[in-house]
Amino acid sequence: MGVNGKITVAAEGRGVLDGAIPGPVENVYMPKLAVLDGVQDEIAEVKTFYWHFVDAAEQAKFRAFRPGQFAQVSLFGVGEFPASLPPSPTEDELFFTVRNVGSCTAALHALKPGEIFGVRGPYGNGFPMEQYYGRNLVFVAGGIGLIPLRSCIVYAMAHRERYGRLQVFYGARTPSDLMYVRDLKAWEESAGLECHVTVDRPADGWKGNVGVVGSLLKKPGINVAVANSTAFVCGPPVMFRFAIKDLLQLGFAERDIVSTLERYMKCGVGKCGHCCIGVAYVCVDGPVFTYEQIKKLGEDI
Amino acid sequence: MKARLMRSEDLAMLVNAIRRRGYEVVAPFCNKGRDTYYDTVTDENIGRVRLHVPNPYYPPKRFVLPPIERLLRVKRANGAYDIQATYEAPKRAIFGIRSCDVAGIYHLDRFYLGREFPDTYYARRRRELLLVNVVCTNAELDISDACFCVCTDTGPAARDHFDLQLMDLGAGELLAVAGSSAGEALFEEPIFTRAAQEHVERRRQILSEVRKRFKTTTCWFSATVRYVSQGSVPERTWEEIGNRCLECGGCTYVCPACTCFTVSDRPTGRDEIERVRIWDSCALGGFTRMAGGHNPRKSVHDRRNRRFFRKLAHYFIQRELSMACVGCGRCAAVCHGDVGMPSVVEMIRRAAALEEKIEPVPADGR
Repeated sequence: MGVNGKITVAAEGRGVLDGAIPGPVENVYMPKLAVLDGVQDEIAEVKTFYWHFVDAAEQAKFRAFRPGQFAQVSLFGVGEFPASLPPSPTEDELFFTVRNVGSCTAALHALKPGEIFGVRGPYGNGFPMEQYYGRNLVFVAGGIGLIPLRSCIVYAMAHRERYGRLQVFYGARTPSDLMYVRDLKAWEESAGLECHVTVDRPADGWKGNVGVVGSLLKKPGINVAVANSTAFVCGPPVMFRFAIKDLLQLGFAERDIVSTLERYMKCGVGKCGHCCIGVAYVCVDGPVFTYEQIKKLGEDI
Repeated sequence: MKARLMRSEDLAMLVNAIRRRGYEVVAPFCNKGRDTYYDTVTDENIGRVRLHVPNPYYPPKRFVLPPIERLLRVKRANGAYDIQATYEAPKRAIFGIRSCDVAGIYHLDRFYLGREFPDTYYARRRRELLLVNVVCTNAELDISDACFCVCTDTGPAARDHFDLQLMDLGAGELLAVAGSSAGEALFEEPIFTRAAQEHVERRRQILSEVRKRFKTTTCWFSATVRYVSQGSVPERTWEEIGNRCLECGGCTYVCPACTCFTVSDRPTGRDEIERVRIWDSCALGGFTRMAGGHNPRKSVHDRRNRRFFRKLAHYFIQRELSMACVGCGRCAAVCHGDVGMPSVVEMIRRAAALEEKIEPVPADGR
């Protein structure tokens, strides 16, 4: 978390705070126009939306995002919502994976390829992937919690030589609630990564693991890398609580467990106040926090 | 800081000098009783501009952060969109702004212009704003029952962040202090004469006298900052506070230092919408409610805890070098449940006294 109270000092100023009121500054609330290229069904009410910026320069600028960052998506006349960035910056395409849950996400779901919407960002701190060089990465995801973690997993795979063991533990309620099945299949077949998938309730034909995602961590034959490891956790609140407990029991230090938090947001740039948790503005201080930081926020998540 | 002397009968001449420089001047005017309001000074009402008036209930925050402000105008034609940012930044002076409200605007400066993303809408308005501060020296008119700027260290005389400060020295004399080059430029007006050491001495005497005239002194204010920062206020005290909150949001709307807003799109015509930001309040139940219904701060006492934490936690004071409470007392006046800042400070003091069994110290010091 940055502790930064500095005011931008402009060359010229007048009135109170001579010199301290910035000159013309970029309008951070201005959405950039984007075109919807295609839509892919994921699970019930969840779709992936492929898109690109109308302005090629914006596209190039945006593509420097870090895993774990997010963007503000504008549906003109309906509103704006924060969406995590599931692609890795090492991939060519830009896309969002969004659940149809409110008025803005419903408007995105109703959009047809070729239609225009707005995007601004990327925002937030993102995962410090460089800090993890040489470490083992353990990803623990539940349900659509895989959306933000997908970026890190693909990023780590693209820079395979920089990391130790890569392990993915993913759980969903039923087989039809599994996200990114094409990625899961590729990961399960990949030699560079161990991918373990489980469901709470099996359906006909399911031959895989059954149980909550935490049960995978303790399953005989599975050896979770604990020493020199960083664990990524993302999922619904209940899953989060239990996964953290399991990881701590395995011997993970609180500072070696990272997560990305979700809040109602209106601006994405630290001004509107909706996303605050204790001392943190999730949009600018987060959304990525270590569990050690989460415990010190001064408010329950 | 340079100081000059002027006659209080020349007040209107000073206001007109600012108007001649191209500023729209807003000043507090008297309504009935203690009710006052900010209005634009015109040739017709300039005779009613007073130095000593109760501080308007509705703070001058709106001159830098309007309750509803249009951010963008979006037009749609043939499937394409045209997005225009709309800015409104009149050259404006607030004449007679009180020291607490000067601190309020300074806090907004720190918040809206600080950190990674300075807010261009705020910056544009702020750059065009001139602040003429009046020191509260008249205990009957200037100071209300709820004022506690002496505890938040923001008044009765602002130390900085104004362009010009006026203080009534009595006997028809005002001491003017320039806080910026724009304020100092006003000293060119013929109404100003040189001030002597004797006037500075009188200013000091009046200030030490007026400090004793405050009725609400929340002596535990700084201790409350510590308790809130440590998170050592008992949960049931927050519940007690929450139970008295009617969730009207009034405290945030009259607060000169509250910053939160929501954003909304609304149609303005066929194929035309505007995106506006609107003051929002952490007191309201929907403030943190996400799409799908999950609300991490559902209970009212969690939301009250939030308000006072945001205002008083040491972390934010250190980060912004400014506290989000300026001691104006408006929250105490607006709150039907009487859980404005002074009451909350008292409730926290009482809880701490019970919790820690703080015994009264005997008068002889044994």
